[in-house]
Amino acid sequence: MIKHVFKLLWNKKGSNALMALEIFLSFIVLFFVLSYLFFNLDRVNQTLGFETENVWMIEMDAIDKLDSLEAVTTLQNLKRNLINLKEIESVSFTESIAPFKGNQWRTGTDDNGFNMNTLMCPVDTDLLATVGLNVVQGRWYTEEDLNETIKPIVVNQAFIDRYYPDKSMIDSIFILNGDRRLIGVIDEYRYIGEFADSEPTVMELTDYFQNMGNVLLKMKGDIPTSFEEELYNLTNTTIKSTSNTITTLEYERAKDSNESWVLIVALLFICGFLCINVALGLFGVLWYNINKRRSEIGLRQALGAHSIDITKQFILEILLLTLLAVGLGIFFAIQIPLLKVTEYPDSLFYRSILFSTLIIFLLVITCALFPSVQAARISPADSLHED
Amino acid sequence: MIKLNKISKVYRTKTIETTALNEIDLHIPKGEFLSIMGPSGCGKSTLLNIMGLLDEPSDGSILVSGQSIKNYASRETSKFRNQKLGFIFQSFHLIPDLSVLDNVELPLLYRNVSSKDRKQMASAALESVGLANRKSHFPSQLSGGQKQRVAIARAIVGNPEIILADEPTGNLDSVMGNEVMDILTKLNTQNGTTIVMVTHDESMAKKTHRLVRLYDGSQVA
Repeated sequence: MIKHVFKLLWNKKGSNALMALEIFLSFIVLFFVLSYLFFNLDRVNQTLGFETENVWMIEMDAIDKLDSLEAVTTLQNLKRNLINLKEIESVSFTESIAPFKGNQWRTGTDDNGFNMNTLMCPVDTDLLATVGLNVVQGRWYTEEDLNETIKPIVVNQAFIDRYYPDKSMIDSIFILNGDRRLIGVIDEYRYIGEFADSEPTVMELTDYFQNMGNVLLKMKGDIPTSFEEELYNLTNTTIKSTSNTITTLEYERAKDSNESWVLIVALLFICGFLCINVALGLFGVLWYNINKRRSEIGLRQALGAHSIDITKQFILEILLLTLLAVGLGIFFAIQIPLLKVTEYPDSLFYRSILFSTLIIFLLVITCALFPSVQAARISPADSLHED
Repeated sequence: MIKLNKISKVYRTKTIETTALNEIDLHIPKGEFLSIMGPSGCGKSTLLNIMGLLDEPSDGSILVSGQSIKNYASRETSKFRNQKLGFIFQSFHLIPDLSVLDNVELPLLYRNVSSKDRKQMASAALESVGLANRKSHFPSQLSGGQKQRVAIARAIVGNPEIILADEPTGNLDSVMGNEVMDILTKLNTQNGTTIVMVTHDESMAKKTHRLVRLYDGSQVA
């Protein structure tokens, strides 16, 4: 039967080519949209490397207007005042490179005999406790590290995996804006956002200075938002400015993610609309074809085909056509992982191919089922008489 | 071979009830070549469809090849139709997208015959109607007479016991009509195939063993 159906398709290749093209293009669009979706979902499912729950953040716009000495004194006073509050467990100062703020600092060197590019993140000794970083090798910074001749640094696991895989680098020295001694490795710190890739990151210990305009606060449990007023007043009084903003990392995380989700949802919506259009098109074409072939259906029934044979034949026709179109789509899509066109993992594209194939076949079977069942219900006596 | 017992067929709509066949009693023994004549709309094709199990009578019973048909939609009835009956139509009903050989193979497709055997049987059937050299042609490349001979080849490819022909010469000129009639006569005399033919042509009907006349759904002769 498959050979027979294939002959029917081949002998009508002119009219079937358009339908196959429609299925092929739908597959390709679906493949790219799903690849984009899986790519982002994979990132969202990766650990951020730090906690956002019960972590508040104060953004101080005015601190960089102070001279450096005054800024240090003000920040030290602020830290003391904040830590004295019973609601606050830990306080950490960061630069403008704070979680979910969209700022980043990158640096690179080839002084170690290879190209090293990394994100830099100025931190203080309290960041570990404030956002719950996970040290997987070595240790985190102490106050004494500020006085070391060779600056100690902590990096993330992605840094080690990319530049020094399969060896312990603790206490080793390498060059990155001067000599650095690696003292610890943390699991991850994806401060750019949930949709950001896991990149090599260096956590650089920094003393108080005037650019430290963000304060992260680890709260003792679920503190009510009414505490914001007290915190706001305390901050204003201490740094003698009212241009401070209080937010939570949970809020910032959601706000940052929403922008990416909007694009994903928009793409899915467009893709869904395309699928509905393809489905309606297929349904219409199949319905038209079946009506055009009523006498053939009657003839087949007269020659011994049962109604199930008729349904099977029409479904097989569209499945074979889909197989050809999707097969061509897979041929092109699979070139991306095979030829390593991108640096993204191959599994991402294989998954997209699999799901695109499943969705297209599901769509086609759904559209073919009703017209095919209707075809089987055509009375042979009527359809043979019509012609 | 075919026994119709008080067969009636009534078509009903919301407002009209049309009697196509009215209590037809007919017995067609094995090996008979029977023709059915009558004016347009008298129920000839309906009667043929009922004999061919393509249509269900409103009343009465039918016995074909010793088998009483109860469920017209069953797999058994389809199988029975495939193995015992062959159909020839006035408008040929060849599938335009299939070659002559593929058209003739069609009944065997529903019989689980291997591809090789299908080809052999279809080639033999085409040879018997004198179209062995037209296997790879498409229906659009054939004349009316050739198309009908392909349809006959398709009807006989599975060696059916009964052939039901609905005005097989209706769309053909007299020369081609006679050619088709000769083939049917030969099938009847040489193979003993029972043939029931609906026709408008008195001269063709005279070549058969028996003539049944219908008028307004009733048998008049």
